[in-house]
Formats: sequence, C-alpha cells, structure tokens
Amino acid sequence: MNRTRIVSVGIVGLVTLASGCSSMGVEPWERDILAKEEMQLTTDPIEAAIDDHIYFSTAVTECTSMADKNPKSVSAALAAATCSLLGSVPAAPVQAAEEPTWDFNTALLYYGEDNDRVQDLSLNILARRNYVDDRSLTLGLTVDTLTGATPNGAIRQNVPQTFTRPSGSSAYTVPGGELPLDDTFKDTRAAITVGWEQPLGRLWKTSIGFSGSREYDYTHLGLNGSLSRDFNKRNTTVSAGLAVAHDIWDPVGGTPVAFAPMLDVGDTGNKTGSETKDIIDAVIGVTQVISRRLLVQLNYSFSNSSGYLTDPYKFLSLVDGATGETIPRVPPPGAEGPSHEFRFENRPDERTKQSLYGQAKYYMGGKVLDASYRYMTDDWEIDSHTVDLRLRWPLGEYSYIEPHFRFYTQSEADFYTISLVDGAELPAFASADYRLGNFDAITAGLKYGWKTRSGKEMSIRAEIYQQDGTIPGDLLIGNQVGRETYPDLDAIIVQFSYHFSR
Amino acid sequence: MGAPDSARAISVEAGQGCFVGLFDAMASPCEILIESEDRELATRLTRTAADEAWRIEDKFSRYLPGNVVGCINSCDGKPVEVDEETASLLDFAATLHALSDGRFDITSGVLREVWSFDGGDHIPDREAVSDVLQRVGWNRVSWRRPVLALQPGMEIDLGGIGKEYAVDRVAGILSEAAACSVVVNFGGDLAVTRPPQQRRAWRVGIEAVSATGGKGETVLQVRSGALATSGDSRRFLLKDGVRYSHILDPRSGWPVEGAPRSVTVAADTCTESGMLSTLAILEGYNAETFLDGEEVKYWCRR
Repeated sequence: MNRTRIVSVGIVGLVTLASGCSSMGVEPWERDILAKEEMQLTTDPIEAAIDDHIYFSTAVTECTSMADKNPKSVSAALAAATCSLLGSVPAAPVQAAEEPTWDFNTALLYYGEDNDRVQDLSLNILARRNYVDDRSLTLGLTVDTLTGATPNGAIRQNVPQTFTRPSGSSAYTVPGGELPLDDTFKDTRAAITVGWEQPLGRLWKTSIGFSGSREYDYTHLGLNGSLSRDFNKRNTTVSAGLAVAHDIWDPVGGTPVAFAPMLDVGDTGNKTGSETKDIIDAVIGVTQVISRRLLVQLNYSFSNSSGYLTDPYKFLSLVDGATGETIPRVPPPGAEGPSHEFRFENRPDERTKQSLYGQAKYYMGGKVLDASYRYMTDDWEIDSHTVDLRLRWPLGEYSYIEPHFRFYTQSEADFYTISLVDGAELPAFASADYRLGNFDAITAGLKYGWKTRSGKEMSIRAEIYQQDGTIPGDLLIGNQVGRETYPDLDAIIVQFSYHFSR
Repeated sequence: MGAPDSARAISVEAGQGCFVGLFDAMASPCEILIESEDRELATRLTRTAADEAWRIEDKFSRYLPGNVVGCINSCDGKPVEVDEETASLLDFAATLHALSDGRFDITSGVLREVWSFDGGDHIPDREAVSDVLQRVGWNRVSWRRPVLALQPGMEIDLGGIGKEYAVDRVAGILSEAAACSVVVNFGGDLAVTRPPQQRRAWRVGIEAVSATGGKGETVLQVRSGALATSGDSRRFLLKDGVRYSHILDPRSGWPVEGAPRSVTVAADTCTESGMLSTLAILEGYNAETFLDGEEVKYWCRR
C-alpha cells in the first residue's frame, strides 16, 4: 500500500532509490587483497537493497599437476615433451573456465512486526546476462505481499473509537485505551527492473535502466542512467547518476481532500480522484583505493519529490484545546460512521533531501570490516544519521558468519504533530504519522553464508529491529500527557538468499 | 606457417584496461594484450613479440625456400644437419608421432598434392592417394639428432606445431620482460603470461559448443595457462552428400571420419593445448572420449 513503510528498516524501501543508483558504477578496481570479492562495494539493486549477496573468492579451476597424472597418459608425455621443447616448465597451471552467461540472485525475505502489525513477505529475483566486453543486461522481479495493521494517526481515547475504512464501505472500532490501528492493510506489489550496462572506451562506463511497479493503489515508473570514469591507474572512480520517476496514487476510496473530515460510511464527499508524484534523484560519488587493504567510497545525493506526498490513509484527531480529548461525533440515525472528529492529514507538495554517505571496507587477515555512515537532511526538517557495521568472519574456505549492527536516528518533521485543536486556525500542513516523528532504531543480526561444491552460494540472515520514539512534550495537550506515547515497534527480519549461475 | 606478410608493421591501441598490440604473422592476425597503463612498455613488448614471431616464421615457413625447412625439403634425400632449435622441434614431432600411433606426422604435407580443400567436390581417386602416400611417414625418415635424412620426394611441414610453439616462445620472453599480465594471441591460439591483477580473468570468446550444449559464442575466463583450437569448419569437401573434413589421416591418406569441426583445449602451455586439440581431431568420432580420458578442459564443436 505504501512503499515507504519499511524505509526506516533500510530493507525493501531502498529498492526504489537503489534501482535509481544501482549502476553507479562505483566499481572498486581489484588489486591484490582488494581483488577479493568480499572487498567489493555492492551496487546491484538486489544487493544494495537487501545487502545479501555472498561473495567468495572464485579460484576458478582444478589445477592439474603433471606429476599427479597417469604417466601413461598422452597429456603427461606431451607435457614432458613440451617442457624439453621450450626448455622451461609452465609458469602457472592453467586456470580457465567457461564464463557463466546468466547469474541469478534470488532472495526470500520475511519482515514481521509484533502485535499483528505489518508483515511483509518478499521474493526477489535478479538475473544478469553477461556479454563479451563487460556489457550486461539485468532483469529484476520483486513480488511483495503486505498484511497487518498500522497506526492510522488518531490518538488513544479512554472510550472506544469508530473509524470509517479508507474504502468508505464499512467501519471498524478500536477499544478504549488502545492505539488506533487500521487493519485494512493487505496488498501485493510486483516490481520489475531492466538495466543495461556497458563500457565506453577504456575508462568510461555507462548504464541505463527502467523500473516499474504496480500495486492496486500505486503505480511507479522510473528511468535511470549513470556514467563513471576511472582515474589514477584505476585507483579512483568518479561516478554520477540520475534517476527520474513518475508515480501515481490511486487510493482505495479516492484521495482525501486536505484536512477534510472523516465522513460516514458510504459518503465520499471528502474524496477526489488519483494524484501523482514526480521524483528526481541525483548522485555523485567517488570510490578510492587507499591501500592494499582499504577501500572507501563517498557519495553526495540529492532528491526532489513534488506532487502528492501525503499519505491518503492517515489522519489526525481533532481535539479540545484544553483537555486534549478528541471531539465526539454522533453519526446520523441509521448511518454508520466515525465516533469522533478526524481530519485527513496534509503534507507539503515538495520535499528536497540531501545526503552524504561514506563507506569503508577494510581487510584484515581474511576478515572484512564494512562500516558506513549516512547523514540525511531535508526541507521538512528531518535530519537523520545512520551508522552501519558489518564484520565478515570466514569459517574455513566455504562459509562465513557476519554480525551486523545498525543504528538510525531522526528528528521529527516540522509539521509533525499529535492532534489538531478544534476551533484553532488550521496549520498549513500537519501529519501524525509516527514515521515522521522523532525516533531511534537499532537493527542487530547475524548472517551465515555457505557455498556448495557446485558453486552455488546461499545465506540465511536473522535480525531484530527495534524502533523507539519520543513525542516532544510541547505537542501534548491536557489529558494526552501520560496517555499518548510514541508507537514503538519491534520487528524480526529473516532472509534466505540463493545465488547461482548457468 | 604462411608466407611472410609484406607489411611487417606493429600497431598499439588502447583497449579496456589494457593496451592491445597488433601485427600479422604466420598468416594470422596476432594480438598482444598488455595489462598496463604504460603505452611505451606496451609498444616495446609488442615489438619484441612481433620480432620473435617473425623470426620463427622466417625460419620454419615451408613457403620460404632459403630456410631450414626449405633446405631439408629440397635436398632430395641427402642428410641435413640442423641447429638446436630445429632439432628440438623434430624431437617433439617424433614424440608426437609415437604418442599418436602415427596419426600426427609432419611428413603428411605432400598429401596436399591430391587433396585440395576448397569447399568443392573434387575427391581424388584411390590410386593417386596411394601413390602420394609412398612419400608420407615419419617412420620412413632417418632422424639422429642433429642429422635428418628424408627419402627422395618427401617433405616436412612444421605448420602443425609452429604457431603454438611461437605463442609459448613469445609468452616466455614477455613474461621475463614485464611483470604485468600479458596475453599472446596468434589467430586464436593463446597463452597468458601470469594472472591479471586488475580483473579477475581475461575473457576469451570462442565459437564452440559447451559440454552442456548450447551453440554460439562461449566466453571463457582465463587467468593463466593457454588455449588452442584445431579444426576449421570452413575447410571441407562435399561430394554425394558426404562431407570430407580437411583433417587427413596420414596412415591412409584419407580424411578422418567423424572429426569435430573444431576442438578448443585449455592446458598449461599453448603447445600442449594445440597438440591435444589436434590429436583429438585426428581421433575422429572418438575425439571427446580421448579428451575425457586425458582429463583436460575442452570445448568441442561438431
């Protein structure tokens, strides 16, 4: 229903951005230890989105030692004859293998919030066709199913509250004292991506891509492109990417008019048709090989969204300015409808975000430390900081474990509030969406990856996610103090990934 | 080995993450891929490679009357004393003759007098083949290093060894001359001097059918070692619906039956790759069985 729901966890929500910047071409030039695949910065959409591709060093071949061969074989005799002819032994045993033409990265992800809130099951398939001369075609498919309940924006009351569903065709009631949740959420999303990447001459690389997704109330169409160039004997890569998207909201039951009151079941006087949103993302970045063991990347990104940026399913309680209690409402005789006064939210029709991102990968005797930091600021006054740490620890040649820790914190949007005061002048914008509030989030987990004899790679990852927020004291009125709290969230994430080539 | 190209020039172009040196030798386009940012080094290595390739071509081409091969072929059965390098190649040819039960024979070149694989339908009569066959057979020559004596009318042709030998020689010289990874590619027969640093592997496209099927171009990733391809699907005769491959069995003087159109083999050196692919082709229908028995990596096109 709403793609940004899980953004704060940093998993599925990244897909949109990642597909825009997927082929930023920030490709580390492999040297020495840096040549190891676990030292590469991942840029594939699926990898960037779910961080879960297993890398192993791909020593290609079975090396054949002449001494080990049957002395009666033709090849052993031939090796001896060649050795006398050339007067030398071969410098290195042959290492040659057929290049896989298709690479498949698949992943099944479960994200589940506690207390019957959102559950998401997502299947990702990314297929890459490799051509000669480093050209490649990438096709991606994601299918997502979302179910569960999510806070609708209204505050708690000591009495039961009744709400008209977004469809306008029925109503639901939340018991007194409980956080009002809308349990209508049920959605299936299908998304596709198509990308083409190719070198331009010796040092330049370019990519173009298309992305599209469809769910029953939301359609996304996007185009992206990137260009990168290597410098400094390929120790430096500078890249730039641009992505544009046009999204269409077609909310169930129509798009609510800004601050319109929630009406009785069957009354659609507060709704209009579909709305659109345009997004431009631009990224510039540099990847630098610092030493044999250290690789760093710095990015600056700019994002501008314009159009309908409001969540059509969220609203605010209209409260008494002294008590903080929601104004009661009595539906007309025979009608079913809201028990209190609720007003649909309204957000600015433009948002500009800027972020700085730094990532470092450090190799230490087989182990790889991957650390990153992101600072994001936008003109809704949301500032966020993200620190992400991973340590990949090999367990023998064919498997590894990787602990992961992530910390996220953000300040609230300037129009974030808890309720609207009855009789007071309406603000220009207001939203009680908890995702626009002030909160911290921690993700902690462990991944185990292994490789089969036939070269297939698998991994399983389990993580917990905890989001704790606070409501600024000056937003609480009267009885809301002590009763209204930020809707904290606990979730688990389990993911199975499978990579194979053919 | 073909005639020396009239224009013996080299050129160096910028490739993807490497320089590419180009020249012609042994009737093949020759390519030197140098993983370096240094154009001067690339030019120097290409020059060294071309000089060695041309030296080998001049010395062993059967089209040049004045060289050692021309000398041997024109002296009408009289013994000839050869230099060390030629002696090593003749020793090698003798070993291959023994290893292949006589299928590989550097004296089989005279069969071209009756067989002309021009895509036409001219099949020689049995008598003509038998006549020529009297002048074929390593077992008919006297080889006591360093003295070779052919019988009158016999000829040797080192074309079946020369190109692969040249690739290995050049790779050996370039490996000493430069620390970076270099690919020596003479018309599809190639060797890598050492594993590349800035890429996982060199990518080599071959026209072949993989073991798992699927025609078209297969891309191989080569980090070290060599590849060579034998066979040529364009050289054959077609008569009464029968396809005659250009691979002749020197024991019968007739084309090998059931020979694959091409066989690519990966081995430590280009010489080994080339000989294994040649021997496989000479096995005809049993090419794959032979290669499977040798436990080498190969790609066969039928």
